[in-house]
Amino acid sequence: MTIGAVGAFTARFAGNQTATALLGANKLRDDWNAAGLAVKSQSFGRETLSRFLENKLGVAASIVVVLLFLSAIFAPFLTPYDPLVGVPTDRLFNIGTPGHILGTDEQGRDMLARVLYGGRLSLLAGFIPTVVAAVVGTAIGVTAGMVRGAVGTVLMRFMDMLYAFPAILLAIAVGASLGPGLNNTIIAVTIVFVPPVARVAESATRRVVVQEFVEAAHLSGASKLRIARSQILPNVLNDIIVYASGLVGIAMLTAASLSFLGLGAAPPAPEWGYMLNSLRGSIYVAPLVVVVPGFFIFLTTVAFNLASDALREAMDSRL
Amino acid sequence: MLRITMRRVGLAIPILFGVSIIVFLLMNVLPGSPEAGLVGEDASAAERERIRDSLGLNDPLPIRYGSWLLNALQGDLGFSTQRQREVSDLLMQAWGNTAILATVSALFGLSVGLWLGYVAGTRRGKLVDKFVSVISLAGLSIPSFFLAIVLLAVFAGGLKMFPSGGATFDDGIGTALSSLVLPVFSGALVTLAITARVTRASIVDVYSADFVETLRAKGLNEFEVRMHILRNAISPVLTTSGVQIGALLGGSVLVETIFRWPGMGLLIFNAISARDLQVVQGATLLIAVTFVIINLLVDLLQAALDPRVRGALT
Repeated sequence: MTIGAVGAFTARFAGNQTATALLGANKLRDDWNAAGLAVKSQSFGRETLSRFLENKLGVAASIVVVLLFLSAIFAPFLTPYDPLVGVPTDRLFNIGTPGHILGTDEQGRDMLARVLYGGRLSLLAGFIPTVVAAVVGTAIGVTAGMVRGAVGTVLMRFMDMLYAFPAILLAIAVGASLGPGLNNTIIAVTIVFVPPVARVAESATRRVVVQEFVEAAHLSGASKLRIARSQILPNVLNDIIVYASGLVGIAMLTAASLSFLGLGAAPPAPEWGYMLNSLRGSIYVAPLVVVVPGFFIFLTTVAFNLASDALREAMDSRL
Repeated sequence: MLRITMRRVGLAIPILFGVSIIVFLLMNVLPGSPEAGLVGEDASAAERERIRDSLGLNDPLPIRYGSWLLNALQGDLGFSTQRQREVSDLLMQAWGNTAILATVSALFGLSVGLWLGYVAGTRRGKLVDKFVSVISLAGLSIPSFFLAIVLLAVFAGGLKMFPSGGATFDDGIGTALSSLVLPVFSGALVTLAITARVTRASIVDVYSADFVETLRAKGLNEFEVRMHILRNAISPVLTTSGVQIGALLGGSVLVETIFRWPGMGLLIFNAISARDLQVVQGATLLIAVTFVIINLLVDLLQAALDPRVRGALT
């Protein structure tokens, strides 16, 4: 892998005069290396995909995830009801009532409509924090891993301090001080996820930064930024993707917990965690209806967890 | 070991400072203003200003942090205007209840998780293994508050097997224990799930190690071999156990709210609803400090049990 990467590096700097001279001297070998890497890098994606496709559970889970996303996006086409407007006389219809397949809630709103529209908020609250935290955490971790000394230490010690809180408590504390609202929930969950991603990114970076091809890039005059982008990032991205994919499920749960506590989207909005809380007084009247939002949180989290497990197994070349 | 202890404690002190800074910043810098709970929505700007002045909210931030920290170190965490009580009084009352709930939950989750993970790891690929992986997947994915609501409806409402919560040890030990069952189970299922996963992975790892072969070749019986495996596999489990206990402490906000268990979690929930940020701040600080101390103890325990960890720390 190291030799291949040096080859790729040399090939990438082929326009550079020094590199051209080098290339001339060792043209045959470098061509061979570059070709080898090109084949290998192509096959890594394919190999991962084919290994992923072999995992039936993972594929099924991914299909569920896609279906959940599609049903949230196309909610208006799937239900004629407005998720915010109820019919006061139609309260707490049970599951299977004609016209209301999933029943109605305590204000006579159609549950299917609320679950579908609610999926938009809940999926966003699971996905956005993970993506943002992955990007920010990677930036912090790679910086700290490359820049030793004061900057790196300060960054990572600050991460340690955030890490010293139980995750859900930190989310609740941030949510409580920002006040209720979907945006604030997303910010709170993001803040909680940055430190662990930064740790993963930092330790991966430390592993990569001592390797010869980074030294080679450095010696040939590449800037720190360029090294970070073209040498470090491609080598640490796997670890981060695998780790971050496992966070989506937890993010969903954390966001749902916050909205359950009244710190999520403002009340009439259909968010699964909040729905569960507002329905919980009705559990003896219409138990199955109350279970609906909880079931969807569960289903989504299981699907995300299984898909991420499958992805991890497919990407981990050691297995 | 003494040197390691000193070193670890030395490392924990700056972390504790950091924690206090973050708790302080959370409640003082973020948009939700600290005086919001004290003045009415319709308060005039002058009135608002007067209250800010009387609370010292117009002083520079570092000075405010300094005086807050000094007070906190002396056990003064401010006054809850909502409850008309000292915050530290409220915390003291709630603390014991949360400690009981978290301890029982941790013991249950960690021990059952360890057992399930061990069984699954030593019977890799068998039916038991698959069963355990289904349990841990479910435990990881089911929201504790959802599980709590369902358990409440089934076992407290429908079957009337357990009380719906709210009881403490003042109500007699039998009532208290039976009212612990549902909160412990709904809170600790995650702990159980994660512990089972980590234990299984660790056992599988150690199982194929060379020394196991050596032990067998030496003629140790299966039980002795398994004890060696367990001893060697325990380290990663211990590492996560600190985090697990922290998660239980944080998750108490949800579980205690549903079961009306009068601990820190319920206190935090009520304070959030009332925008009583002094209480949220104090409770967050107390839980975070406890978490740091627990992690410290876990680190030390690990060093005491595992010479490899001891070597890495010195």
